[in-house]
Amino acid sequence: MRLHDVVIHEADAARIDGVLRRFLADSSSAAALLIDRSGQPLAETGTARTLDVGSIGALAAGAFASTAALARLLGESEFSVLFHEGVRESMHVCAVGEQTILLVIFDERTTIGMVRLFAREAAASIGTILEETRRRPKRVGALAAPLTVEETRRASDHRPA
Amino acid sequence: MSIINYAAKVINFKLVYYGPGLAGKTANLQFIHRCLPDTNRGKMISLATGDDRTLFFDFLPVSATGVRGFTTRFQLYTVPGQTLYNMTRRLVLRGVDGVVFVADSQWERLRENVESLRNLDENLKEYGLALATTPCVLQYNKRDLGHVAPLDYLEYLLNRGTPRVPFFEAVALDGRGVFETLNTVSRMVLVREFGQAQEVRS
Repeated sequence: MRLHDVVIHEADAARIDGVLRRFLADSSSAAALLIDRSGQPLAETGTARTLDVGSIGALAAGAFASTAALARLLGESEFSVLFHEGVRESMHVCAVGEQTILLVIFDERTTIGMVRLFAREAAASIGTILEETRRRPKRVGALAAPLTVEETRRASDHRPA
Repeated sequence: MSIINYAAKVINFKLVYYGPGLAGKTANLQFIHRCLPDTNRGKMISLATGDDRTLFFDFLPVSATGVRGFTTRFQLYTVPGQTLYNMTRRLVLRGVDGVVFVADSQWERLRENVESLRNLDENLKEYGLALATTPCVLQYNKRDLGHVAPLDYLEYLLNRGTPRVPFFEAVALDGRGVFETLNTVSRMVLVREFGQAQEVRS
């Protein structure tokens, strides 16, 4: 399995944001996060902006990957939807194509059925947008030219306080 | 597999600390977490067993100075080193941009190092990657212990690929070699992603 790099240009980000906002309105969910299956966040809308999306992305991708491995042990290709039910908030996680995951946080203002229905539509729309982004050039604008030695040094210099 | 987000002005890279069980992968992340200022690191998450052995992974996001208006984030992960957990190791490797192989320098752990390195190569192949072409740094850890193999011998055993990869001696618990390792693998990942312009000397 060869994975592709992910590039999100400004116009694509706006389209994804539009789909996620519409999804939140339709499903009455609180937050939506789009993450790569390697655990890296791609987009977020709703109250997700106040959450630790980096940690959530890493953990959700881990949970999704281990569940997919479990599915294969049972002869399934993967379990395409995960649902975690909490006292106040719940989480719905579903696949968006081969490389991406849509994570939705919702509360008692809606139901799992509503979330599931609209998440399926949103995932299809986002999948189409991501397919298009993969065909675009990766390095444009400020990132088109190679980095100088000094730029590379600064961007890789992690220094203890 | 880097992620460039032109809208959020963020570039994400994934670095994985690999190696046999108890070699010091988690100790590397713990030291980095302890020493980096809050502005340059996020929360560290450890999915560990009751006796502090890594069960799934440790996760720590860090960032250095940005580049050309973009924030560069490096997501650091460890894998569980125990042989039993190979499926989990493979899952964590998904989308990796750079690898730190943490070797245990003690004589009695040499076989485990060799097996773990071989296992890394096999698991990278699952994602269409190869050790020889993935940015990689070797860290010979636990150099403070008495019964350790000489550096030349460790190099002979573990660093025989073409080209040879950078290596560092380390005592991860005290932080020796930890940031040198992290900065070197970060630089290799950046150079691979963006190339390196020649210095213009006037």
